[in-house]
Amino acid sequence: MALFAAKPIKKEDYYTASQLQLVWARFKKKKSALIAAFCLLFFVLSGVFAPFLSPYAPTAAGRNQDYTNGAPQIPQFCDAKGCSARPFIHKVERHRGVETNFRWVTKQTDKRNYIVLLPKSKPYTMLGIPLSHRLFGVEEGFIHLFGTDATGKDIFSRTLHAIGISLAVGTVGVLISFVLALVIGGVAGYFGGWVDTVLQALMDTVKTTPTIPLFMALAAFIPDEWSAEARFTFISIILGLLGWGTLARRIRTHVLAERNADYVLAAKLCAAKPAHIIMRHLLPSFTSYIIVDLVISFPYMVLAETSLSFIGLGLKDPVNSLGVLLQNVTKVDVLLNYQWYFIPVPIFVAIVLAFVFVGDGLRDAADPYSEHRK
Amino acid sequence: MASFLKFIAVRFAAAFATMLLVSFIVFTLMELVPGNCAERYIAYKTTQGQLITEADIRAEEVRMGLDRPYIERWVKWVSSAIFRFDLGESCLWRVDVTQLIGDKLGISLGLSFAALMLTYVIAIPVGILSASMRDGVLDSSLRVASYLGLALPNFLLALGIMLVSTVFFGDTLTGLFSDEYRDVPWSMAKLGDMLSHAWLPILILGWSATAIQLQTVRALMSDEQGKLYVTAAKARGITGMRLLMCYPARHALGPVINSIGFDLNRIFNDLPIVAAVLALTDAGALLLEALAKSNDQQLAGAIILAMTATIVALNFLTDILLAFIDPRVRKGFF
Repeated sequence: MALFAAKPIKKEDYYTASQLQLVWARFKKKKSALIAAFCLLFFVLSGVFAPFLSPYAPTAAGRNQDYTNGAPQIPQFCDAKGCSARPFIHKVERHRGVETNFRWVTKQTDKRNYIVLLPKSKPYTMLGIPLSHRLFGVEEGFIHLFGTDATGKDIFSRTLHAIGISLAVGTVGVLISFVLALVIGGVAGYFGGWVDTVLQALMDTVKTTPTIPLFMALAAFIPDEWSAEARFTFISIILGLLGWGTLARRIRTHVLAERNADYVLAAKLCAAKPAHIIMRHLLPSFTSYIIVDLVISFPYMVLAETSLSFIGLGLKDPVNSLGVLLQNVTKVDVLLNYQWYFIPVPIFVAIVLAFVFVGDGLRDAADPYSEHRK
Repeated sequence: MASFLKFIAVRFAAAFATMLLVSFIVFTLMELVPGNCAERYIAYKTTQGQLITEADIRAEEVRMGLDRPYIERWVKWVSSAIFRFDLGESCLWRVDVTQLIGDKLGISLGLSFAALMLTYVIAIPVGILSASMRDGVLDSSLRVASYLGLALPNFLLALGIMLVSTVFFGDTLTGLFSDEYRDVPWSMAKLGDMLSHAWLPILILGWSATAIQLQTVRALMSDEQGKLYVTAAKARGITGMRLLMCYPARHALGPVINSIGFDLNRIFNDLPIVAAVLALTDAGALLLEALAKSNDQQLAGAIILAMTATIVALNFLTDILLAFIDPRVRKGFF
């Protein structure tokens, strides 16, 4: 058995291993999926702990008025005056004079501004816990690892918060579509007949309509005066409402295939109700497939949210998401002069890729026949 | 033959039913938008300095038929759309929606179908080749491209291309027409100008569909290649291209044809967003404007309906095409 190639394990361990152990053992073998899983964990953690990890608030409250559209400041150890063990950035200075045509410009000076760990900041809350220190900062003034946007907001802080928000929208959306798929797919498969036909027609229709235009039509209902939280909830619900088609179809097929099995008949003879049979007997037989499907559909939720926010129909400032961050980048001015607006893009591509690889790895790991193929 | 006609009739009825359901959903959505067309029009008149009373709004509602019951208005909307290609009046511009979207929908459909063609022209041959030389350089680089196709949505790709071209060539590559052709009527010169701009939107619209279709073709081909009938063909001495094309490729074609409709769906999905990024002036942009800026429910509903109708029609055609080329499907009819 090549299953536990790393350490010699007795054959009976394989037969007594639980479903979870088997899946994990197969998952571990695929290097790309394992690396992707660690990346994903890293991103999730940085999204969850964004308030602590980012040096400033991502909203107008944390903006640096003296450094708008500022270039990224990369910490360095050496400059013309020599090297130091502590990383530092150079201070900037606002200056106006004849040579600048009497406009304010930001100029770099050669004064050093050392980076400090756990500086005191304005009080904020993370996961409900009030805190007053951030992970890092500088001795005085501001540090902007990814630069700043047109209003002086720190792009690094915004990116971290955007990761958290995008993952949260995706999670809520996936959960909603999961519940819908479970109910609709389960009912269609279990009862069959005309119920199945009607629900199938509904699934087909939802699948035929172009989703993003439908998303847009739904999102257009959001009145402008809604709060950021209400908007967030509504967008997640929309994503969930339109994303259940594929999973529902899969659940239906499984239930349809299983509903004549002996154990279902046994449950029926014990006078179990349909809801009980579907939830307790039928669904557990393919939990792993459902989980895999959810992981695979996750990046699509995130991307749909990004598209919606990007065209201005999804989330809005002060809530950050990738789409919100990218709202203003199509201007020629930005394209030519402020390319650091694009730094969040590769990060998000990496997150989606991580999801895709983990989903692929999980799919292969959950399939007990994957090893016997080829 | 009679059963084949029956098959066509059944498929047609199914497509028609789907369209009715879609039109109902779209119509309901348009109804749910706060405020109706009459109120919006009157609100516009108020800004022009006219004094408007509640009675005027009611009168306008009666004129537009908005006082009729919901189902009755839906039936009227659908029937006039089917029989007269009349999709009502735009809330904001006060002109026929059909007239408003006609040209632009044409451009959008043109771009989408060109992107669809590009998808298959690339995906089918490259996918077949990639499957026939598994684990080679071509194959692994294609796998990376497919993953990127999933992870890099079309509008991000468009943004990336714009960034590179602006920085290095000083051209943002946006728009569909040069300045001198924007408002002149259609001519050969204008068509040529459009085609010289259209390659980028077509490429971008086709990007993720191509990546996904490549993956599908490759997987289908790999599955088919291991089957016994291929081995049997090899044993009869058939090799090379002939073996590939006449045996596994023919079988793999069915599911690919089946998925054309969904690829078009995927491309339509990106239309409004790519239009926003590249500053196009097609139906996608119009839809975006109708939804995001002017809340023009009639216009938005008409565009979504037209898009879905195209997909449903294509699905219907591919079903029939499949019955023609696949003996396994055909067997049941003749």
